[in-house]
Amino acid sequence: MIRELARRPEARVGGALLLLLVAVAALAPALSPGDPLAIAGRPLIPPLTDPALPLGTDRLGRSLLAGLIHGARTSVTIGVVSALVAVAVGMAVGTAAGFAGGLVDEGLMRVVDAFQIVPGFLLALAFVSVAGPSLLVVAVAIALGAWTGPARLSRARVLSLREADFVASARVTGMHPVEIAVRQVMPLALPPVLAVSSVIVAGAILTEAALSFLGLGDPNVVTWGGMIAEGRNQLRSAAWLSIIPGLALVATVVSIYLVGEAVGDVLAGRRRR
Amino acid sequence: MRALFSRRLISRRSLLGSAAALLGSTALPRLGFAAGAVRLVAAADSEPRQLNPAIVASNGVFFIASKVIEPLAEASYDDGGLRPLLATGWEGSEDGSSVTFALREGVSWHDGKPFTSADVAFSAMEVWKPLQNIGRGVFANLEAVDTPDDHTAVFRFAKPMPLQLIANALPVVSAVLPKHVYEGTDIAENPANAALVGTGPFVWGEHRPGEYYLLRKNPAYWNAGEPRVDEVVFRVLPDRAAAASSLEAGEIQLAAFSAVPLVELDRIGKVPGLEVVTKGYEALTYQLVVEINHRNEHLKELKVRQAIAHAIDKAFVLDTIFLGYATAATGPVPANAPEFHTDDVTIYDFDVAKANALLDEAGFARGADGTRVALRLLPAPYFNETKQFGDYLRRALAAIGIDATIVANDSAGHQKAVYTEHAFDLAIAPTVFRGDPAISTTILVRSGVPDGVPFSNQGGYANAEIDRVVDEALVTLDPGARVELYHQFQRLVTADLPLINVADWSFTSVASDRVENIATNPRWAVSNWADVGLAD
Repeated sequence: MIRELARRPEARVGGALLLLLVAVAALAPALSPGDPLAIAGRPLIPPLTDPALPLGTDRLGRSLLAGLIHGARTSVTIGVVSALVAVAVGMAVGTAAGFAGGLVDEGLMRVVDAFQIVPGFLLALAFVSVAGPSLLVVAVAIALGAWTGPARLSRARVLSLREADFVASARVTGMHPVEIAVRQVMPLALPPVLAVSSVIVAGAILTEAALSFLGLGDPNVVTWGGMIAEGRNQLRSAAWLSIIPGLALVATVVSIYLVGEAVGDVLAGRRRR
Repeated sequence: MRALFSRRLISRRSLLGSAAALLGSTALPRLGFAAGAVRLVAAADSEPRQLNPAIVASNGVFFIASKVIEPLAEASYDDGGLRPLLATGWEGSEDGSSVTFALREGVSWHDGKPFTSADVAFSAMEVWKPLQNIGRGVFANLEAVDTPDDHTAVFRFAKPMPLQLIANALPVVSAVLPKHVYEGTDIAENPANAALVGTGPFVWGEHRPGEYYLLRKNPAYWNAGEPRVDEVVFRVLPDRAAAASSLEAGEIQLAAFSAVPLVELDRIGKVPGLEVVTKGYEALTYQLVVEINHRNEHLKELKVRQAIAHAIDKAFVLDTIFLGYATAATGPVPANAPEFHTDDVTIYDFDVAKANALLDEAGFARGADGTRVALRLLPAPYFNETKQFGDYLRRALAAIGIDATIVANDSAGHQKAVYTEHAFDLAIAPTVFRGDPAISTTILVRSGVPDGVPFSNQGGYANAEIDRVVDEALVTLDPGARVELYHQFQRLVTADLPLINVADWSFTSVASDRVENIATNPRWAVSNWADVGLAD
């Protein structure tokens, strides 16, 4: 699978960017020690003018590079945590609905419908407004709008798997239905869900940025969306304050999509074969 | 002071709304108007829910409503500080028990009925005293208003009332409502609160939510020759970047209350045809204040409060956050209120070493991670500057071993957390000095304020000496003695630090150079604009 992926140029570009991002996120405290919100120099130093502050400073004199590095950490954390929550919850609900069938299925899928009707972003907005902005709340808020996709996918997969011979034989051996669902069916329902999870990660990073842009991010950590929002007031006089974190955001989301696309293609190709 | 949350600024909701407003902006006022009509278009950054200035005395309401409903007198740069509007003169009795107003004759309401002393008596007794946010305090001892004739109103007070205080409060508290419209109705819910009826130079036109307010010239205005423009349109532009570009595009001629962000002023000042005006807000001084919850076991120690005061670099705040458009505060009364201000107070220089020493003395040693105490910090969300100062203060406190966690709320959440639930340790507030410390300043430190009153002492602070001075000044008639009491008040507050005053700031206007008579009085943005003209 990895070898197949490595043959695809989009996967190589996306993967390289993604690896870089994850490395920066993981090594943020080493790359840029200290508090990224510390005041590092004069305010509004343009990029590439001061070797000590290569990307310049914002309105309060905070280093843009430090913000970018630590912002990557926030973005990756949010993306991964909310995707994990969304996939876990979605898989559990989807498998339960698909495997149990009947009223349970009906009931659970109507809940899924209810969540799908409300746009995910509005849901996140409402949730954060009520619960107050902190990193965990934001991650949960984003997952709240993202778990329905995995739920539908895994349900569809479970519905077909449920009738498979190996499930019937597991029943005959007297295995408990919950055990069948968790140990026999769920692992097989996982691959298509994993393929969409990259989309969820990318969506989560974008949603977090949008929330921060609206002032609903955690104010005690740096976020790219928050940086863009703060730069917006100076858009005419210091556009780089918004453009640089904006580019980081674009690069991140594009790289995740590229990798996700490639993974999806490879999986689909295999299935066709 | 309700001002702020009704009008200010980037609350999350207004931001969402602003996106919608931008989308809708192409549909803006293409109202039909007579050929040759002179229309002044100004930016408004919010739409207050309650537009009646006699009920909500706040700058956000006055900005629009003061053009329709007038007070008894307006602030003025001239000696005495007041320009008569609906009252032509006022005189206090020697014992301070009454104030007699002579009212202007020949004034009529926009619906044609004559303006009389009955309107003033009704407004004072039925609206200002029981309903108005500021009048409630200023007129607490008002017993009755006598109307010996149609153009005389005598205010009678239960306790001696300093004429100085009444005069200073007049522009803010005395918007007169028509008795015949409001009598016998639920005043707070009267439809005239949305479609105002007044005596002012402009008549209410219409309000399209999310789009604009339209006011038309009052042809029967009492001051012949005014107003000088035919229409005033307040275009709703909650997005500050939009205000700047609309000015440059010539779609609006005026953006007041710093609707154009400070960082843009340098650039926009150089745009031909536009000018930056910093005058006209002298009587609307905002104060950047660190509110302190004295229930906190650390903050109730004076040394900790002194350490925080020493940790704040006011020069950085002025230069970087306010870009020079502010002055360092010495205490609770700003320097541009020379009548009451004194420099003879305790000053806290920026001195991190001293701050650390004070905290050591107070017995709060640094832990293994360098932290002495952890606090919650709630910056008010109404202004960019209060939020930026929150970011700065967090860093400044880190330098002295105080780990502050910023708690961000929207306007309503902030109000509730700080002023009702007291769920804060430090908060950052933009309080307003309104020409007299008794109007909205002493309430910030006076004990015994009920929970839930915004912009008041909700930090649980009680100091019998300060309370005594505050109460005595309220009934001291001699202006000199009263001023001396307020000097003492400033000394006491800066010595004991119930709150920390950091900076005093005012606003700027950006206007087309066609607009005439900008900043003609110290409350210009919230005055009636009768003399404002628009050159061709």
